[in-house]
Amino acid sequence: MKRQSSLVSESVLLEKLIRRDQQAFQWLYDQYSAALYGVVLRIVRDDEQAQDLLQDIFVKIWKNLDAYDATKGRLFTWMLNVSRNTAIDALRARKTQPSGAIRTDEESVHIVDRQHHTEQPNPDHIGVQEVVNRLRPDRKQLIDLVYFGGYTHEEAAEELNLPLGTVKTRIRAALQELKQLFKS
Amino acid sequence: MNVTEYIASGILESYVLGAVSDQERREVECLSSIYPEIRQELDHLSTALEQYAQAYSVEPPASVKENLLKQLDFEKPVVPAVVRPLPVDPWKNGSPTFRTTWLVAASVGILVLGFAFFLVSQLRTNQQTVASLRTANDSLKSEVQQLHTQQSLAEQSLALLSKPGMRAIELRGNDKAPSGRMLVFWNAKTREVAVEVQSLPPLRPDQQYQLWSLAGGQPIDAGVFEAGSTNLAIQRLNRTIDRADAFAVTVEKRGGSPTPTLSTLLAMSPVDA
Repeated sequence: MKRQSSLVSESVLLEKLIRRDQQAFQWLYDQYSAALYGVVLRIVRDDEQAQDLLQDIFVKIWKNLDAYDATKGRLFTWMLNVSRNTAIDALRARKTQPSGAIRTDEESVHIVDRQHHTEQPNPDHIGVQEVVNRLRPDRKQLIDLVYFGGYTHEEAAEELNLPLGTVKTRIRAALQELKQLFKS
Repeated sequence: MNVTEYIASGILESYVLGAVSDQERREVECLSSIYPEIRQELDHLSTALEQYAQAYSVEPPASVKENLLKQLDFEKPVVPAVVRPLPVDPWKNGSPTFRTTWLVAASVGILVLGFAFFLVSQLRTNQQTVASLRTANDSLKSEVQQLHTQQSLAEQSLALLSKPGMRAIELRGNDKAPSGRMLVFWNAKTREVAVEVQSLPPLRPDQQYQLWSLAGGQPIDAGVFEAGSTNLAIQRLNRTIDRADAFAVTVEKRGGSPTPTLSTLLAMSPVDA
């Protein structure tokens, strides 16, 4: 898989980034900005704010590169977490009721459709999109709630009217399914 | 501990979704660094979630990138907090660094050479300047010396001439010295006598000019003097003259004669002419 093969070059990239190499930054931006912007947009659902946040996020990434520890996890995952946390914090600061941040399945499908039509289609992403659509809707909903909404298990259980144990089991099942889907 | 059970517990899935407490997070990070199986499972889950997130990719407007490129400071090295081994980069061998080293060494060499040439040329210019200054200084010194001598002579002459009673008599050459011209200064009170040769023919080395004063028809020796060597300077003669009706000049043997040789009379002029 593409990202698998970039493991070696990722450490090289990181080394260049820490040396403040502009080319390395441009590569990093070109490679990941669409994914990070998509995540932020999905969380705050406001183009203008999402653009501001994306800029803040890259500044944060740039300034905290030396805090990233390659032994603890992957660079992209780290960047995703920086983006997610920044966007969720901004959303919480903006809204007093976190329930408003959650979109229904219908909305999600609508937005995914719209992105599909309006944005330049990336062949990689189209494949990924098909895989994601094979995910069971109840599991997908839970992942979105926790991952994009920043919900705790308890908050998710309350939101979905499910027992806490079911939420935990379903989260594991959802990610295992996701793992299997991308493996094949 | 039972790694398989831990992996199956679901905590890793919650970890990658960011839905764990700080304590649980530290626990997962610690265990994943100890057990490769846990680390591997975490990597698989992270990769899956990365791809899931990528499904929602949206290209941000170009302005975001432009702003970032303006805002961030590039190529200022920072000291990394964690020291990691330098990764082996298979696409880049050592040659660029090698070449850079040589380029730097060569430029430093050229700079040093250039600087050396600059110093040498500076030294040469300075030496030339010193030499010409020394010459100028020498000529100035001799000029000052000359001026000094002239000035003291002029002062003596002035002192002599400014005494009251000093009279100047002009003597002109006869047909033996048509262009001959000189002045005799005589002070009847102090009895001093001096001459200023303006133009007289040059003499043989064994000859000298001699001045005579005529009083009551008798010639009196008024001293010998040179022509030409101390041009335009007043020569004071070592004689005292108390009476004179006229002054005359003859050519005599060096040291002077007791009586004038009339055949060599060059000029004569009365005092009250």
